[in-house]
Amino acid sequence: MACPYLDYRDEGEDRSFDTERAYCTAVDAFVQPMRADICNDRYDLHHAEDCEFYKEAAGEGSDDA
Amino acid sequence: MSYEAYQRGEPVIITAALTGGVHGKEASQHLPETPEEVAEAAEACEEAGASVVHLHARKENGERTFERERFQELTEAVRERTDLIVQHSTGGTGAPDDLRHEPLRTDPAPDMASLDMGPLNRYQHLTSENTRALVEALGEEMRERGIKPEVEVFNGGHLNEVHGLLDRRPDLLEEPYHTTLIFGGGTTAMPTPKNFLNLIEHLPEGATFNTLAFGPHQLPFTAMGIVFGGHVRVGLEDNRYFRQGELATNEQLVARAATLAETLERPVASPDEAREILGL
Repeated sequence: MACPYLDYRDEGEDRSFDTERAYCTAVDAFVQPMRADICNDRYDLHHAEDCEFYKEAAGEGSDDA
Repeated sequence: MSYEAYQRGEPVIITAALTGGVHGKEASQHLPETPEEVAEAAEACEEAGASVVHLHARKENGERTFERERFQELTEAVRERTDLIVQHSTGGTGAPDDLRHEPLRTDPAPDMASLDMGPLNRYQHLTSENTRALVEALGEEMRERGIKPEVEVFNGGHLNEVHGLLDRRPDLLEEPYHTTLIFGGGTTAMPTPKNFLNLIEHLPEGATFNTLAFGPHQLPFTAMGIVFGGHVRVGLEDNRYFRQGELATNEQLVARAATLAETLERPVASPDEAREILGL
């Protein structure tokens, strides 16, 4: 299941695109393509485990100390 | 490869890394994503002096894909418009090993393909593992399909891995061993001139080297690569800026590398000359 903060938009950050692109509503920014694989839980990736933005937005804090 | 190669004025091969798999148009509007955009950029880079093009495949929305069909579409578009040596990436942080083989399976096979020699970190939670088993499996398929490996060395430990691979599996690499030495932050080699000299000093006998450095290090390391008899890789995959605050195009970065080489009195290799140097 995709990240709840994932959206697809063709406008944002004062820019527009021909094709809708991954957008993170947790940080209000378009998502780098490699990060979009995490957002979509592709391959062996999972947003709840692999995305620091999700963790912070979900109030889980950092496990990176 | 050495300062003597520079003094002899041997040609320098410029590889254009147009796209990569990490960032996209959200980072630079000049970064090509579709096969048409990539082919157009490749053609401009060939005219500017590139002889090798390093390719990653993207979906229409810019996201990564490892599908053979998309690589096929991409490579056909590039071959239609250029005579460049086609090099496919087999990189893929977080992607399963079987998908990493897919870029090797186009028809015809790519002339070259990347072979990452070990792990590297991405973001806060991702590691591209690149186990020895995967390196050898990719190397075997490259050998079977007549694809020359571009051996990617992200740090000094990975250079140990190159020597280990040559000891363990000498059947997988043929001279000249074409290595790419990678300098920047994180898991890559620290971008200092001393480190650059240290790495090139410890290359295996019979190796050529390509210099790749990220961001603001791209320009000075291109110059060092040229002076020390190596080849160079530039492009938006590794560096988005022409100078501070000014986004670059792939063509601009290749043209600047070509101007540097010519100023330093090394000729820029044509695709045919590059094929001869690389033993393709």
